[in-house]
Amino acid sequence: MSDHPRAGDSGTHTFQDLILRLSRFWADQGCVLQQPYDLEVGAGTMHPDTFLRVLGPEPWRVAYVQPSRRPADARYGENPFRLGKHYQMQVILKPAPKDVQALYVGSLQAMGIDLAVHDLRFEEDNWEAPTLGAWGVGWQVMLDGMEITQFTYFQQAGGLELDPVSVEITYGLERITMFLGLSKNVYDVEWVEGVTYGEVRHQDEVESSRYYFELADVPFLQQQLDGWEREARRCLEAGAVLPAYECALRCSHLFNVLDARGAVSVTERVGMIKRVRDLAVACARAYVDSRERLGHPLLARRRGGGEAARDMAGEPEAAPEPAEAPAAGAAE
Amino acid sequence: MSEAAQAHGEYLLEVRAEEIPARMLPPAAAELAQRLRERLAERGIEPADVETAFTPRRLVLLARGLPEREPDREERLVGPPVSVAFEDGQPTPAALGFARRTGVAPEALERIATDKGEYLAATQRTAGRPTAEVLAEVVPEVLARLYWAKTMRWGSGHGPWVRPVHGVVSLLDGEPVPFRLFDVEAGRETVGHPVLSPEPFAVADAADHRRKLAARRMILRPEDRRARLLDGFRAAASELGGTLVEDDELLDRLAAICEIPGVLVGALDEEFLELPREVLIASLRDHQSALTVEEAGEPARNGEGGGRRLLPFFLTVMDRPDDPAGRVRAGNEWVVAARLADARFFYREDRKLPLADRVDRLAALTFHEKLGSYRDKTERIVALADTLCAALGWDEERAAAVAAGRLAKADLGTEMVKEFTSLQGVVGGLYAREDGHPEPVWRAVYDQYLPATTDDPIPRGRAGRAVALADRLDTLVGIFGLGLVPTGSRDPFGLRRAAQGVVRIALEGEMSFDLDLLAAKAARLYREAGVAGFDQPEEVVERLRPFLDDRVRHLLGLAGYAYDEIEAALAVGGADLPDLARRVAALHAARGSADFLSVVLAAKRIANIIREHEEYPLDPEAFAEDAERELHRAYQALRGEIDEAAAAGDYERGLARIAGFAGALDRFFVEVLVMAEDRRLRRNRIALLQAIHRTVSRVARLPEMVVEKAEYRR
Repeated sequence: MSDHPRAGDSGTHTFQDLILRLSRFWADQGCVLQQPYDLEVGAGTMHPDTFLRVLGPEPWRVAYVQPSRRPADARYGENPFRLGKHYQMQVILKPAPKDVQALYVGSLQAMGIDLAVHDLRFEEDNWEAPTLGAWGVGWQVMLDGMEITQFTYFQQAGGLELDPVSVEITYGLERITMFLGLSKNVYDVEWVEGVTYGEVRHQDEVESSRYYFELADVPFLQQQLDGWEREARRCLEAGAVLPAYECALRCSHLFNVLDARGAVSVTERVGMIKRVRDLAVACARAYVDSRERLGHPLLARRRGGGEAARDMAGEPEAAPEPAEAPAAGAAE
Repeated sequence: MSEAAQAHGEYLLEVRAEEIPARMLPPAAAELAQRLRERLAERGIEPADVETAFTPRRLVLLARGLPEREPDREERLVGPPVSVAFEDGQPTPAALGFARRTGVAPEALERIATDKGEYLAATQRTAGRPTAEVLAEVVPEVLARLYWAKTMRWGSGHGPWVRPVHGVVSLLDGEPVPFRLFDVEAGRETVGHPVLSPEPFAVADAADHRRKLAARRMILRPEDRRARLLDGFRAAASELGGTLVEDDELLDRLAAICEIPGVLVGALDEEFLELPREVLIASLRDHQSALTVEEAGEPARNGEGGGRRLLPFFLTVMDRPDDPAGRVRAGNEWVVAARLADARFFYREDRKLPLADRVDRLAALTFHEKLGSYRDKTERIVALADTLCAALGWDEERAAAVAAGRLAKADLGTEMVKEFTSLQGVVGGLYAREDGHPEPVWRAVYDQYLPATTDDPIPRGRAGRAVALADRLDTLVGIFGLGLVPTGSRDPFGLRRAAQGVVRIALEGEMSFDLDLLAAKAARLYREAGVAGFDQPEEVVERLRPFLDDRVRHLLGLAGYAYDEIEAALAVGGADLPDLARRVAALHAARGSADFLSVVLAAKRIANIIREHEEYPLDPEAFAEDAERELHRAYQALRGEIDEAAAAGDYERGLARIAGFAGALDRFFVEVLVMAEDRRLRRNRIALLQAIHRTVSRVARLPEMVVEKAEYRR
């Protein structure tokens, strides 16, 4: 293949440069700049600031990087494209603004991509996450034939219809950096000038692959899964929604590890997905009730004329309870 | 705004939305035109011409020759009964009230008779509304109710529609026809390409709309974009020194995902040409929506060309006219290289293990949780293909069919098929060839999923036909045995297609055997494996029979045979499909002749007479009248000939012989009273008719044939 000039594009060279530019761009759109969730998740969607916040009527804008674990995709650090853990930039805009496509195009320009010399297309790609009881409609965004973003209008989460509708924009950070530099190996990507992605992450990929495929103790993990499922139920009964959801996330990750380890048969698979899904759905319902009991603080705040999104970075839970909030447990 | 447009009653509609999925655009455009025509026709408005077009971001309709207004309407309103409308010849308050309401003078009210008596009536004339007003009412309704395979909601409560709507142009002869679609007001403003020409602009009318989009390099009609792309691809291929490997489906798709049909040529590393042609084509098509180029020569269709070498290039679309910085090409080449590296990795991994060594691993792959693994299915395919070849006397092909049956499903465990499910069978065939299996074997594996669509041919060789049929029949019997019969549009196991495959392969492959016996054998194989639901193999076959018959009806109907011809032939058996087809063809050819018609009529009469009788013995000595002796002689003389013609499959001759009964039968029914007083005489006559009925039924149940009144008289 011939060498091609990188005419037109500017700026983005390193992995962290991309993160910084995207963070700045979405922060300027009034997003809460959240941090990665501190539990293992398979995708940014599972972060409670996406999965739970898209439920109910309260407005919400958030952006964060989420390390996303896919044990089955681990390749001992040998495959130039596949990783057991990759980084997503996740953006949620709720409600989805009318001009969200144009905003998204703006984020590409913010990355230094000069669209005057690229081919940008939106191809149908509907998203579905059976373990979350969630689905949406949207596209994979193709830049010069490369999928760089998942763009989804959430329609349902935790089995509940969403109103208002949120838009989720998920950037695959490694892919985009590789693509912009036409790099042929993810491990060669510069994280920051002088340090490669491989230097930061390769040992992790090798050892995690060993763990997922060779070392993971199946009976122990199965016990863990059963235990965290019980714990989730107990928390739900006690009305502690977020801890219950964390238990459910642990179950989901344990299931993924067991699956990669080859310890889940086809018939068991269906049953285990259903167990995780039931937990996610129960958490979603409980969360909707809990926000109602709190009187939808973010909604009240916006109605009160606060400069909306930027103010939401405050602690929503600490917002004063409105006088008419129903008594706790009334929704039961 | 042009004078011409004003004179023509021309309506332009453009709905702009976020990118609509390619597969949903053509049906939506067709439905939009049809529904709008229907709704306008209800109001007496009929455009001379309605045309649609689309791009991923717009749905466009152009109607020409619209009248200025809907026709005036007359409506008759019924008032009070005449009996209460007048008192002493003077209108009562009831009559006056009706007159006032309808705006008709009391003396001008009409009287009409109804079954409840005489009533007052008034005729109201309503002037037709201007067409613009009607459009403003009808168009948003039609748009909002278009069918989409998947819809969404957006913002706060908008939708459901396929994607968020951003703008509507609605102009009748250049004048806006205002309405609201979701939260968008229709007007005359639109935009160009979202990246290259995003500035809004106003359009005067349809011609101006087309002109201004063309100035922005955009083409509205998908067929124009397709033609442009095809020309561009062919030219690019020939410039590369090769020929385009054409793919109509992909070309349609490419035309539906762009507004500007830019041709993009990319190169791939020569080293990827080590991949089989089929794999390269599938990888480029499925992952990159790209076409391939092969060495020049006669044009070859995808999959049939076989031999010609691919050149290291690919062709696809970009939604822009050019690639000024080479970035689009560089990006696409980068992605293609990554994809092909994956494919090559799969290929090399797969080749580490011969296909035959993968058969046992199929035990871990579930065919259906109740029906067992693909390993189990493999055993059944082998047994059925073997039985089938034996039944057909295909002794030479039998070993190849058995060997191919054993390998048939082995590729389901390969990385390549996991990645490209559309290549199942093909991959197995290619690997079997590389493993050194003889041509009839690898071809049979390669072809086993044919015919996948109605346009596909059946497998090329006999071994392939035996395996393909055995596989499908096994699936049909298995799923029917579990009672999972397809209903309505729900057919999750693709049983209709499987049944159609069975019927087509047997018919077109001239495979004369008893399908019911083979199906029963398939059911017994499930029973022997201990699968529940197969205790009565024959019962499963009985349940499957009508389903297969439906496919037979459909296929023979497509071949041009009449419904009653198919029914009459099916009624005496459809298990031997080529035999059935010959009988249907013979009926079709024979039905024109006068003799045949009288035999059909006689057959109907015979069927009526013998319907309620058990079988009686025929005693040739017991006939009393000449006419019955003559009929018996005719029957004896012709029975042998008919049997022989039927055995030889020469049903036309058979039917001609049956038609030879006509004279004797007619005389019999005129001169002989079947229902004679004498019990012995009566039973003997019935026995003769029963014997004739049996013989005639060798070909078809003739009473099923529909005889038109006009044909009677001939």
